[in-house]
Amino acid sequence: MDPIAVTIALNIIYEITTLFVIVLGLAIVFGLLKVMNLAHGEFIMVGAYAAYFCQDQGWPYIMAIPFALFIAAILGYLIEFTLIRHLYRRPFDTLLVTWGLSFLLREVIELVYGKGFQSLSNPIPGSIDVLGEPYPSYRALVMVIAILSVLVLWVWYRRSLTGARVKAMVENPELARAVGIRVDNLARHTFVVGTCFGALAGVMLAPLTRVEPFMGLDYILTSFFVLVVGGVGTILGLSSGAGVIGGVQSVVSNLFGETSGYFGVLLIAILFLWLKPNGLISRS
Amino acid sequence: MLNGKKTSRRTVLKATLGGAALAAAPGLIKYANAASDFKIGLFIPLSGPAALFGPSAKNCGELAIDEVNKSGGVLGRQAKLYIADAGVPPAEAAKSAVRLMLRDKVDLIVGNHDSAVRQAIVGAVKGKIPYVYSPVYEGGECSPNVFMLGETPQQQLMPAIDHFAKTKGVKSYYLIGNDYVWPRVTNKLAKKYIAAAGGNVVGEEYIPFGPANKFESAVTRIKSAKPDLVVITLVGGDNVNFNRTFAEFGLDKNISRVASLLEENTLMGVGAESSGNLYSSMAYFANIESAENKAFVSSYKAKFGAKAPVLNTLAESNYAGIIFGAALTNKTGSTNAAKLAATAEGLTVSTPTGAVTMRNRHTDKNMYLAKCNGTQFKIAKVFNKVPSGQTCT
Repeated sequence: MDPIAVTIALNIIYEITTLFVIVLGLAIVFGLLKVMNLAHGEFIMVGAYAAYFCQDQGWPYIMAIPFALFIAAILGYLIEFTLIRHLYRRPFDTLLVTWGLSFLLREVIELVYGKGFQSLSNPIPGSIDVLGEPYPSYRALVMVIAILSVLVLWVWYRRSLTGARVKAMVENPELARAVGIRVDNLARHTFVVGTCFGALAGVMLAPLTRVEPFMGLDYILTSFFVLVVGGVGTILGLSSGAGVIGGVQSVVSNLFGETSGYFGVLLIAILFLWLKPNGLISRS
Repeated sequence: MLNGKKTSRRTVLKATLGGAALAAAPGLIKYANAASDFKIGLFIPLSGPAALFGPSAKNCGELAIDEVNKSGGVLGRQAKLYIADAGVPPAEAAKSAVRLMLRDKVDLIVGNHDSAVRQAIVGAVKGKIPYVYSPVYEGGECSPNVFMLGETPQQQLMPAIDHFAKTKGVKSYYLIGNDYVWPRVTNKLAKKYIAAAGGNVVGEEYIPFGPANKFESAVTRIKSAKPDLVVITLVGGDNVNFNRTFAEFGLDKNISRVASLLEENTLMGVGAESSGNLYSSMAYFANIESAENKAFVSSYKAKFGAKAPVLNTLAESNYAGIIFGAALTNKTGSTNAAKLAATAEGLTVSTPTGAVTMRNRHTDKNMYLAKCNGTQFKIAKVFNKVPSGQTCT
């Protein structure tokens, strides 16, 4: 097989799988709670800085995962308790609140670490052979983790009791409360799970990209494109959205250059908003 | 307004009066010492994508003012700084320039920003006061009463490409840059120098300026094109992401890279693991071993402390711009445009880069080719007194 074709194919899979990881937290919060979390990119940023903190302390990279989860969980609980819980079922207000929140989080990080770039060293340098072609090991690992997390999450959501409760809450909160589901707590935990997934994405991507206070803005726009295309509320929708956006971006970029790739994504997003506003797979 | 229904006429009145008082206050203070100061308007990026350079640029501006005043000021007056944000859309910058001229009555403008903002400021100032444009740029500005201190593509790439061809046997080149005027003009000229050095261009591409770019596909194209040298005119975060992806795919071992805007902050983002065989060609690095630079760095550290924002070419250009503007005005004895232009030709001023000599309103200056060693620059080659290749009359 043509070695360049192998690399391109892997790049496309990488693009789609990382996009899935990036959007996951947002999709949970938006799809299940109808909270449009514009600060989602900042949770990714917080995760990346948590990883940077761990590296700075000389801890092994794996420590970044529990540490980032810890920070994101505390932040998530605080934010849900003080801001978000008053705004369920008011999507537009959540948009404004989280927009302001994104500024606050950026400013706090800037206060501590400054505006400058931080660089994280690659925890698994070197490359592995895929069909006789070297491919960066860490990227390969990120792809595997992303694919595994889709499967685990899908099975869990379909099979577990909590998954069923969440579904009940989403479909009809009053009825859910009536049968003894503690909807307030469930919503809070769901929000926290969303912020934690954001921070995890940050930990995974930090060694691959630039780390600076504004990095979150890179992710938020594409994330919403994925939700527009895929539809909200299902893992299948999220996967297909990531597949379409990541695939178009990657394929068109490889064929015609970066500008065309970006143009392709915008075009797809506009077409979907216009002709299929509920996305490919919508829950209702 | 977001809280529209709560706004009463009284609060509007209060806010307006308060705002008016605030706006008037600096004016009142200003008129107290208006006659005595030589006012310098300084455009630096305080917001927007280049805001990272704001703090160091501001420090360098203040340091330059200190030194100008220590040596007697400008035209016998104390120099005073008026800072404006250059990280705004060009039309906003033009408004700031007008405000600086009409309200603050500045005598000189020094600016460090992109070319779109420069054109807007040139259009607003219309040559009425001298304007020193200090950062690296693509060349071609010849408007009256505008003086360029930054290095041009000819200075950055002509000697460097010749050096790579002769000492490293580089034959094939790949050009990658952001999609705006500076990279495109730079690469147009680079192709001339590559042809002159007997090399050929195996690929050229431009990445949109602004969106969240990824570089897997570009790096894959470079991998299949197999150039000897990649000439990079990406800036900021894109420069970081490109170089990290490039090294991650293992291309750094066999392919050298030379960047035209890789300074201390950007290299920090690229990181030690990704900076193998990476070079930067610029007129200033914070660790240049010249007497001028050592004095500059030590007074910067003395004034702002050891933890001050790291020095870089863009911030240094602000310092050099003010020093140059003051020297030019002092030597001319006035701010008359025709007299300034006459004095400027051939004027030599000492800056942290070394002595720079103005010719055709651009400067002949020393150029440095630095090799990245981890997250530090190591000067690999100095090209003395490189001409700008500009032909303004």
